[in-house]
Amino acid sequence: MSIVALAIIIAIKVVVILAIILGIGAYLTLVERKVAAHIQRRPGPMVVGWHGLLQPLADGIKLLTKEDILPSSANPILYNLAIIMALVPASLVFAVVPFGPEIHIFGYDIKPILTDVNIGIIMAFAFGSLAVYGVALSGWASNSKYALIGALRKAGIIISYEVVITFAALGPIMLAKSLSTYDIVMAQIHQKVWYIFLQPISFVVFVFALLAETGRVPFDIQEAEAELVTGFTVEYGGMKFGLFPLVEWYVEVLSLSSILTVLYLGGWSPINIPFIGFIDPLFFLGPWSGFIWFIIKVTILFLLVLWLHWTLPRYRIDQITTIAWKVMLPLALFNILITAFIAPLLRG
Amino acid sequence: MQASERTLNEIKAKLPYVEVKKDKLLSVVYVKKELLINTLKAIKEDFGFKLFIDHSVVDTLEAQNRFEAFYILYNVDTKERIVVKTRTEHSLPSAEKLWFAAKWAERECYDMFGINYEGHEHLVRAFMWDTYSYHPLRKDFPLQGYETVELPSLNETVFGDTLSGTMNYRRTHTYVPTLKDLEYTEKNRIKKKAQVVLNWGPLHPGTHGTMWFLFDLEGERIVQADVILGQLHRGVEKLAEHEPYQQFLVYTDRMDYISALCSNQAWTVAVERLLGIEDIVPLKAKYIRTMMSELQRINSHLLWLGTYALDLGALTIFLYAFKEREKIMDIIEGITGARLTISYTRIGGVRMDLPEGALEVIESFIKFFPKELKDWEKILSRNRIWVKRNKDVGVLSKEDIYFYGLTGAVARGSGVFYDIRKLEPYDAYGMVEFDVPLGENGDCYDRYLVRIEEMKQSIRIIEQCVKKLKTMSPNEPFMAESQDPKKLRLTLDGIGIKVPAGEVYSSGENPRGELGFYINSKGGLKPYRVKIRPGSFYNLCVYPHLMENRYVADAVTILASLDPVVGEVDR
Repeated sequence: MSIVALAIIIAIKVVVILAIILGIGAYLTLVERKVAAHIQRRPGPMVVGWHGLLQPLADGIKLLTKEDILPSSANPILYNLAIIMALVPASLVFAVVPFGPEIHIFGYDIKPILTDVNIGIIMAFAFGSLAVYGVALSGWASNSKYALIGALRKAGIIISYEVVITFAALGPIMLAKSLSTYDIVMAQIHQKVWYIFLQPISFVVFVFALLAETGRVPFDIQEAEAELVTGFTVEYGGMKFGLFPLVEWYVEVLSLSSILTVLYLGGWSPINIPFIGFIDPLFFLGPWSGFIWFIIKVTILFLLVLWLHWTLPRYRIDQITTIAWKVMLPLALFNILITAFIAPLLRG
Repeated sequence: MQASERTLNEIKAKLPYVEVKKDKLLSVVYVKKELLINTLKAIKEDFGFKLFIDHSVVDTLEAQNRFEAFYILYNVDTKERIVVKTRTEHSLPSAEKLWFAAKWAERECYDMFGINYEGHEHLVRAFMWDTYSYHPLRKDFPLQGYETVELPSLNETVFGDTLSGTMNYRRTHTYVPTLKDLEYTEKNRIKKKAQVVLNWGPLHPGTHGTMWFLFDLEGERIVQADVILGQLHRGVEKLAEHEPYQQFLVYTDRMDYISALCSNQAWTVAVERLLGIEDIVPLKAKYIRTMMSELQRINSHLLWLGTYALDLGALTIFLYAFKEREKIMDIIEGITGARLTISYTRIGGVRMDLPEGALEVIESFIKFFPKELKDWEKILSRNRIWVKRNKDVGVLSKEDIYFYGLTGAVARGSGVFYDIRKLEPYDAYGMVEFDVPLGENGDCYDRYLVRIEEMKQSIRIIEQCVKKLKTMSPNEPFMAESQDPKKLRLTLDGIGIKVPAGEVYSSGENPRGELGFYINSKGGLKPYRVKIRPGSFYNLCVYPHLMENRYVADAVTILASLDPVVGEVDR
């Protein structure tokens, strides 16, 4: 493969991935509003477009045309840097997400993953940890007590749950004997088992951590509109304000759901019967069925998150950190112990 | 009930220096100012009048000992109420050691009458800002303001605007606080002990209205908290002195605007008791009032449940509750013609008969509502997160209830049997069956359960009222006929109702605690002094105590479980 072809392929991948996640991210606001509305027995957005289909566009235009406000006592550099620090690491996680099996187009074998590095999982968590800077900076730079408290709460949660999520992910990594996201999926396909069946504890811990890291109910204390108004975003306006929930609630949920799919649900593989094989009701799509399966899995996870968000109350900050350190972390460690015994039994 | 002759005689025997007087409406103990605290202490500790109900002052305008102060106390065990009265020129000893609630009541009297309380820990104004130099409830304070005093408006002070015409605020002679005044007030309230003073309010989604909280934070832990009231102070008590009895009804709507019908009822019953016509009010009117009040109670508790869940992050319950609330609103609108500020009751009855079909609508509502309630309980009551957020948060012991003068669901949540509907039945409450739910631990979770159970009991009461009303013919009167129309004319507009001289303390069980009216009448068309005993005000006074060493997140839990309404707190 020539360097030019490689560069072109990578450029196309970057454009496609960015366009998809940001576009979908925007449209997920509509999905969320519709799901929430139907949980609450109301129709949701109905005015702009058919069943509110153009609502995200209207929202975007509204947010973009708003006046750009900088609080008089804010630090302008950090204030704007916070948005970038929130958006960029969250989007970068998608660099290591494999969306489907290797495909063959125009004589090239293309892996639908931006970069298949051999430390993919570690990269994903590293970028996830970087997200805390966006929050912490926004809370500090806007020079407001509410924003500061919200940012500190979020930082506290992320620090607690980064530890938990990493230890939880160690289980599948040990089973797959690889840190590359692509190889983890391939390992599951070869071993004919989704790791959710071997790692139920670590799966539950991971879902908890996912909710906590993305600031979803029951862990949404950093925005807690009743106490902190909206926490660290309180001093932002217009699209700057719009970007935070977009990143936190949609891009991060999508990226972590993708990682979760890769680690536990066999990535793009179809329905699994443990140790026997895979059943693919979408076989007629040929090589494209993998992509559809990936999308279906992420969608189900996203809907699960929404369902929880619109039903449960929220925890208090001390309860969240208590759960992280006293329940989730021991569980994750215990899971590693068990995995150490299971892993050698699996055929690699 | 009022304290019996026997209790009064016992008090007289124990404390020979007091004078006792009992009439049909009030049992009063008179005492000299110097012996006030001793008397109160003895009545509290030896005679069991532990629950603090109210304290205020009447400005008699007499040359000697101008102010008459009264303390209303309640004995929960023997179900007796007593009033302790004293006279003073300008100062009183503080009863803050006996009841914390007295501290807040004293601040209010200091604010409104300029009475100096000796030994009060932190005597600052309750409603007005600290740089305000008048005492509005004094009889010589003119309602329209002092014409001779130059009072700058906010626009003039801050922006230098000199407006003319109707926009000229100087014409109204009101004195508006500037930002400097508010800053001074804030600094005066709380001495910073910890890292950050967080201004929580006056406009904040968690405060359920315009309340201004100050939290002194050490990290997320609250070291001390204080409340600055008065954002919604409209001087309802002063207005009452200038309105005929029936006209004042509309102000009771605007106090606790979420349970207007209950406030209406409490006021009407108070005036009827003062007039002595409680017995001639037709049965139909009594049942209608009771039924409507209970509907309003469900309505009010639904708003509480919705906002409570919203504060704790359960957004969906809020919409469920509001959907049901909307149905009640529609029923109330269909019957009374108004949704929020209703003014439905009249002295001697109600404004109009039930329209055709009203009972059927109510029947179908109470048939389906319990199912909804059960659904919500499934989502909340045994939800681990909900329990974790509420259990052992904001614990109030029985002694706390008495000490802080708490009433309503807050008192019952701690296991104190205090429900005016049972203790002192008014209207049809004596004729219907219902239970009073009591909590055990006195935490937020118990208060939640008590309120949920109260809704179910309200349904029971409404059922019985509907059953009874169905047996009544449409021609039955809904307004009382006065036996002696020359002496007392009862009409729908209530114009010209002359009330004999006397005083009464009468209270109703509002969704937010006991709403009491102390009416002092010197005869004539208007009351001389009306003291409103707001449940929310005293329920709120325990808040700074409960917030000590709690997290900011508990602030919303505890506040919502106390459920104050600013309109009633500030009046």
